[in-house]
This record gives sequence, structure tokens and C-alpha cells, in this order.
Amino acid sequence: MSLNGATPPHVALADVSKRYGASTILERINLRVDPGALVTLLGPSGCGKTTLLRLIAGLAIPDEGRVSIAGRDVTRTPPHRRNVGVVFQNYALFPHLSVRGNVGFGLSVRRLPRETIASKVARALDLVQLGHLIDRPVAALSGGQQQRVALARALAVEPDVLLFDEALSALDRNMRESMQVELRRLLKDIGTTAVFVTHDQDEALTMSDKIAVMSGGRIEQYADPISIYARPETLFTMRFVGLSTELRGAVTGRSDGQVRVETPVGALTAQGAQSLGSSVVVATRPEHIRIAAPDAAPGDAGLNCVEGRIRQISFHGSRTRVAVEVASCADFAVEIGGVGDLPAVGAAVRLEWPPEQSFAYRDGSPGP
Amino acid sequence: MTDAPASILPSAVSGATASHWLRNHKAGIALALPAALVLIVLFIVPLAQLLSQSFKSDAGFSLHAYDRLLGDAYGRSLVWNSLRLGLVTTGITLAIGYPAAFGLALSKGALRSVFLASLFLPLAASVIAKAFAWTILLRSHGVINDVLIGLHLTDRPVRMIFTQTALIIGAANVFLPFMILPIYAVVAQIDARLTEAAATLGAPPVVAFLRVIVPLSLPGVIAGVALVFSLSVSAYVVPNLLMGENYPTLASTIAKAFLLARDPALGAAAGAVLMAIGLVVVVASSALARQSGSRRA
Amino acid sequence: MKISPFRLFAQIAMIGAALFLLAPLAVIAAASFSPTPVFDLPIGGASLRWYGAVGSLDGFWPALTLSLEIAALSTALSLILGTLAGIAIARGALPGAQTLSAALVSPLMMPGLVLGIALLQFFRSLGLTQAWPSLLLAHIVVTLPYVARTMIAALSRFDFAMLEAARTLGCNFFSAILRVMAPALAPAYFTAGLFAFLASMDNYPVSIFLTDAWTKTLPIKMLQYIDESPDPTIAALSTLLLVATVILLLIADRAVGLHRLAGMAE
Repeated sequence: MSLNGATPPHVALADVSKRYGASTILERINLRVDPGALVTLLGPSGCGKTTLLRLIAGLAIPDEGRVSIAGRDVTRTPPHRRNVGVVFQNYALFPHLSVRGNVGFGLSVRRLPRETIASKVARALDLVQLGHLIDRPVAALSGGQQQRVALARALAVEPDVLLFDEALSALDRNMRESMQVELRRLLKDIGTTAVFVTHDQDEALTMSDKIAVMSGGRIEQYADPISIYARPETLFTMRFVGLSTELRGAVTGRSDGQVRVETPVGALTAQGAQSLGSSVVVATRPEHIRIAAPDAAPGDAGLNCVEGRIRQISFHGSRTRVAVEVASCADFAVEIGGVGDLPAVGAAVRLEWPPEQSFAYRDGSPGP
Repeated sequence: MTDAPASILPSAVSGATASHWLRNHKAGIALALPAALVLIVLFIVPLAQLLSQSFKSDAGFSLHAYDRLLGDAYGRSLVWNSLRLGLVTTGITLAIGYPAAFGLALSKGALRSVFLASLFLPLAASVIAKAFAWTILLRSHGVINDVLIGLHLTDRPVRMIFTQTALIIGAANVFLPFMILPIYAVVAQIDARLTEAAATLGAPPVVAFLRVIVPLSLPGVIAGVALVFSLSVSAYVVPNLLMGENYPTLASTIAKAFLLARDPALGAAAGAVLMAIGLVVVVASSALARQSGSRRA
Repeated sequence: MKISPFRLFAQIAMIGAALFLLAPLAVIAAASFSPTPVFDLPIGGASLRWYGAVGSLDGFWPALTLSLEIAALSTALSLILGTLAGIAIARGALPGAQTLSAALVSPLMMPGLVLGIALLQFFRSLGLTQAWPSLLLAHIVVTLPYVARTMIAALSRFDFAMLEAARTLGCNFFSAILRVMAPALAPAYFTAGLFAFLASMDNYPVSIFLTDAWTKTLPIKMLQYIDESPDPTIAALSTLLLVATVILLLIADRAVGLHRLAGMAE
């Protein structure tokens, strides 16, 4: 079922910059969103993601660059002529209107005939399963219900693109997680293009077709969730999405897309192409590290291997996290599924993992 | 989300429901009793007494005072003068005060403080002094006339003093803060995101203003209108100083009846009429406030 | 950010309103420097002598003292009454809390003149003929609505769970009120007190009926001065009162913030 009818259009930002006073909020942003895609802008507060969303909505004008929606250049078009739908963080529902009044607001502003408005309102409320609350005053609704009304209101006008400004952050965790799934299903059903802003990496991973990880006004990486998680291109992305263990070192050898790095815990091999002698940070995701007894048979010769002592074990339901102190100077984060068969805290262990799961990044930033 | 809209009657929204402190009625009644007693003994009883006095005559219960007051054209002109003063003053202060309240709400920092000071200061200046100042301004050789002549808007001095123009200007001047402050108090609380939401839903700025901001500002407007109307309908000092005997109102009738003519029944009757107007204003405004607070489709 | 035409229009309206409101005050201040004994704008020189003359106005000091006393006492009493009632109303611990709330504020809607007369007759019928107690009682009615309106609104916003938290942390009942509620309500007290005080100091319509030849409040005295001999001394007096208010407002801005004062003023 497609609410739009025609092929949903897409969003493009070209060399967009935005400054506020002396500080640069966004710097030469280039972003393309495919029709029907769900894209998330992910990053810490201050990275510019909300500003970027507001530029797409028309609530801010870029200092440089162009914004286009559905093939039209809308850089200077005011928001009320852009045909976007925005779901705000605190919903911004009109307190003086009922649910019906809120959802139908955009339609009545467009002066559609009354029957058309009524049917579109009913359809929008059905999509969010709130048809039975149509005449309620919005103040009488729960947070989750208000959120759905805000969504229905944005959907009712059949926008070219839907924008969500941290829209789920006001919900409690269970509601948030079920909304994430439901929202994705709904948006895929309708086929609307959507852009989300969030600082919650799990939300981004769950809901998106592509994630734009942002930091300091730039896009660090723009790719599908799996690539973002499993093949992060920058250290920031590696750090921001998921956990990792980091070790500093210098490159001592190169071959075939991998580098050999001398670190405080020994020589490690990692994915990378930095030149000899350069300082790098080697980062590894916890779930790829295997824990073995120190005297067990060694694994493949190519594996990275260190020895250490278990410092702490914490249970997380479906996973268990183990902190291992290695060579008295590094703390390794290791994760195993379920409860596993772990030695006790304090026991000596050996850690092994394939070099394909370690990534070397140029070390330019101040140390962790 | 914004709170429930404010009204001239403070809403008794109960605080944190988590606390159970002081919910029982006995303690509540004990706390509220002193204020309630003051209200009854010093407000309701005297007013009721005044009301009953308006019905008194040597022959017992009688409507004679009302007959004297309202029975002839002069009497009715008294009522009409009072109402007219109220309506015109309210209209002008609303016309100036509504946009001004928004101007105030949209300003920040030092400018806002200056604006607020301009609202509070006049409240501290005696009405008498202000009225006198207006006589100076509006005189034939006063500042305003000098300006008008200087701008070639008129050849000869316009006679403004002791005219109804002067009265309206003076009344509007005295009561304007009472219109601006309640509207400002409500408007300042409107969520800024609502205009953004309206814009993203396709409403051009004018439409967004009319369909979102104006309805939400209504409780403040109601409060301001009610306050200014009741104050100006019963104004005594301003008409007295700016128009003397030429604009008799219910208020001047009361003053004269009690201070000069020793005609308490007439004065009480005039007072009763003003009380009735006041009551209508209170009831109407709270009913309107409740209605505008309720959700409409 | 472009300046929207609406914002411009609104701020121009506010500027116009501010000028309109301040114009008579400026005139009063200017007239206070008049070189001639006529209440008029100073042309050809300025003189400070009217300021000196304020003190020797006939009956000025007693009137000022009386006004200050009445204002201070009635405000204080209203603050107590209003807070107590406000607590009960805000907690809903009262059948008809809303009605009482409306009733406490309703004297604002009643013409002061009518109230003055009604109280005059009422006190006389009770045999109370002395001006001072009559004025005090009347001014309680004048000030109470301002206090009630502000305190009820402030108490409705007060989180009473804080009192329980204080008690679990070791405060007894009164200590909790003092250490937790009073600081939270201080801005409201300030606002309520300021409005009530000004309302009482300025009050004309209620006071005129309750004063007698020996006991006059300052506004009544001022009208007498204007009637008898309007000279710039009145302007000087008014200007002094204005300056005092400016100082009060500066303190208010420091303590509470003028915009919050306005927000609570409704």
C-alpha cells in the first residue's frame, strides 16, 4: 500500500555548510537519500545532525550549498511549501485541537474538501492504530499515543520525505523498541522516504537502511548498518557505534591490505594501509575475541594472540562481557554469547582473534 | 507540552500526585478558613448590605432608588456613559496591547527589561498625577498640539482637553498595562515549536498565526479584557480629572451621592448596577476561559 | 535569520505602547523642575526647590507614614492568609477549592468605589468609626486578591514531594517548610508582596471613603493638594515615588527577574 501513489522522491544535499556566529555547525555536507530509504543521522550532541534535519525541513537556511527534495531545488523554499512531514521530539501537538484537528491540520491548511480531509485523517490514524481516539483532546493521551498522533499528523499530508527529530527519545525503553520496529515496518509499507535523527546507536542500527555517522559537522561514514558496525571507516565511527578495545602503536610492516603494528601488548596484525612508522590505533570489536586457557592448543598461526588475566565478568542477559587485563597495561573488552564456560575472575587466559576483525586507524586524536 | 491555559482565575491544578501530604479536608478547611472569613466578612457581607440598602426607603422595600437612577434619560445616559467608557477603553487597549504583548514576548535581554519596566512603572505613579500630566500634554499650547502644528497636520490648536478624546486617551493610558500583562503571561508560554510544526504542515506564517497562536492566546485576551473592562467601567478619577462634570458616570454618581448629596439609596443603587456589571464580567470571563481551554476539533 | 515582518510590527507596537505609557511620567518628572509655581513643563530654566518643598507639604509626613504602615501591614497579613488558603487550594484539600480560588480573586473585578462605600456603611453599622482600623481592614481586602492569585498559581506549581523528601532527610515539619518551601516560593512572595504593596499605596477609590479629616493616606492627600493648590510640588512628590519604584523594580529584577514578575502577574 502506498500512500503516495507515484514513485517517492529522494533528498539530496550538495556542499551544504551552516555557520552560527563564529562556529561552523555543518561543513560541506554531501548526502543523497534514495527514494523510499530510511536514513539515520547518528552522532553525539553538537555534531550538527539536528541542524542538518532542520535544513531539510526548511526550518533553517544553509549558508552555502543546495538542498533538493524530489528533484526540486528547495534551498530557499520556506517550510510550508516544501511538503515535508516533521515529527518533533516533544511532538509539538496543538493543545487547542483534538486528535482529529491535529491530524487534519495540514490538510485543512491546504483547503482540501471536508470529505477528503475526513478520509485522509481516518487513514492516517488507522496506520498508527489510533482511530478510536479521534475525538480525544490531545492532553488526555499518553506519551506513546501522542507520539503516534504526531506521526499521523505528518503522514496525513503525504509528504515527500518524513523527518524525525529524536522522535522516540521521550518514550520509555520498551515502548521505544517496539515503536522502532513498528515504524520501520510502517514506513516500508507506505514507501515514504524518511530521515531520522538520533544519538541512540541501537535505534539507528535497528531502523535504518543507511546510517550517516556525524561528528563535528561532518559525515564520518555513510553506509548500511552492517558496514557501519563491522567495517567502520573511521575511529570515531568505531568508537561511537558499539564497543571496542583500542591499542596504540607504530606500523612495522605492511602487506596486502593489512599492517603489522607494534603495541604495548605485543605485535598485532590489523586491516589497514598506513605507511611504515606511522602512529595508529588498533581497534577490535569484543565479540570476535575468543577466550582460551593459557595452555590450550594454539589456534591458527595467523591469529592475533595475547595473554592476560580476567578482571571482571558482567552478565547482560543474552551476552556476557568480560574485562581482561593484558600485560598490566591494557584492558581488553571481550564479549561472549550466553553465559559460557568461563574461568573465574583472576584466572589467567589467552585471547585470540583473527586480524580481519582488527582495524588500524591513523592516530591523530588525543589519547583515550 | 504547555500547561493548561492561564486565566484570571488561577487554576488549582494539584501538584505532584506522588505526594500525599495534606490531602484531608479538615486541615484544608482550617487553612483556608481565615482567608475565607475575611472574604465573607469584609467583602461579601458589606456588598450584600449595600445591595439591600439600594432597596430601602422610608416605606420599606422599594425599587424607588432604581427608578430614580434609571427611570429617565439622564439616568440611562449614566449607565451608557459608563459602559461606553468601558467598551472603548477595552477596544483601544486591546488593539494596542495585543500586538504589544507579542512584541514583549519576542524581545529578549535588556530590551525586554526596559519594556517590562515601562509596564510596571506607571502602576506606581498615582492616577491623579498621570491624569494631570495628560492635561498638560493635551492643552491648546501643550506638547501634542505643538507637534501636530509642527508637522502641518493642522493649522490651529486642536481642542482636546475636556473632550471625550482626552478621556479616552487618559483611560487607555492608565489601563493599558492591565491588558498587556495578562496577554503576555499567556503568550510567553506558547511552545515555539508549534509554529514550526504548523509551517512544516504547510501553513504559511499568517495562517499559522491565525490558526495556532491566536487560539492559544485567547485565555490571556479574556483575562485582559475582563480586567480592563471592569476597571474602566467603574473609573472615577480619570473622568473626573479629565472631563470634570461633563461625563457623568455611575462611578461619579456614587461619589456624589455619598460625599455630597447624602443620598445613600441612590448611591447604593448605582453601586448595585456596577456590581452587577462586575459580576457579569467575572462569570462571562471564567465561562469563556473554560471554553477556550477545552479542546475543539 | 531574517527579521519577520510580524516580529517587527509587534515590537513597534510595544515600543509605541512603552512611549505612550512613559509619556505622562516624563511630563511629571519634567514638571517637577519647573522654575515657576505652575504645574507645567519647565521653560526657561530648572529648579529643584519643589523637591525641598515636598517635605513641608501640609500633612505630608503623616500621610506618607500612614500609607506605608497600612500598605506594609495589609500586605503582610494578606501574604499569610493567602499562603494558607493557597496551600489548601493547591492541594485540593477543600471541597469547592476552585470556587474559593475564584472568590478570592474576584474583588479585583469589583469597582473600588463600590467596595469603599460598602465598607464605610458596614463599619458604621458595626460602630467602627475610627479611620485607622477601617483603612487596615479595607486594605486587606484590596491586597488579598493580588496575593491569592500569585500564591495559588505558585503553590500549584510547587512539588510537594519535596517536603516529604526533606522530612525523610531529617527535617521536622516546620523545618521542611522553612528550608524547602520558603526558598522555592520566595519569588512568588516577592511578586505578590510587590503588587499588593503598590496596590495599597496607590489605592484611591476604597480609601477615600474611610479617611477622615485627620487621617489621610497619601493618594487622598495628593488629590487634596491638586484641588487646593496645584503646584510642581506634586510633580516632585510623584517623581520621588517613581524613583523609589524604579529602585524597587531594579531589586525585583535582580532578585526574581522582571519577566518572571510579569509571568506571575497574569
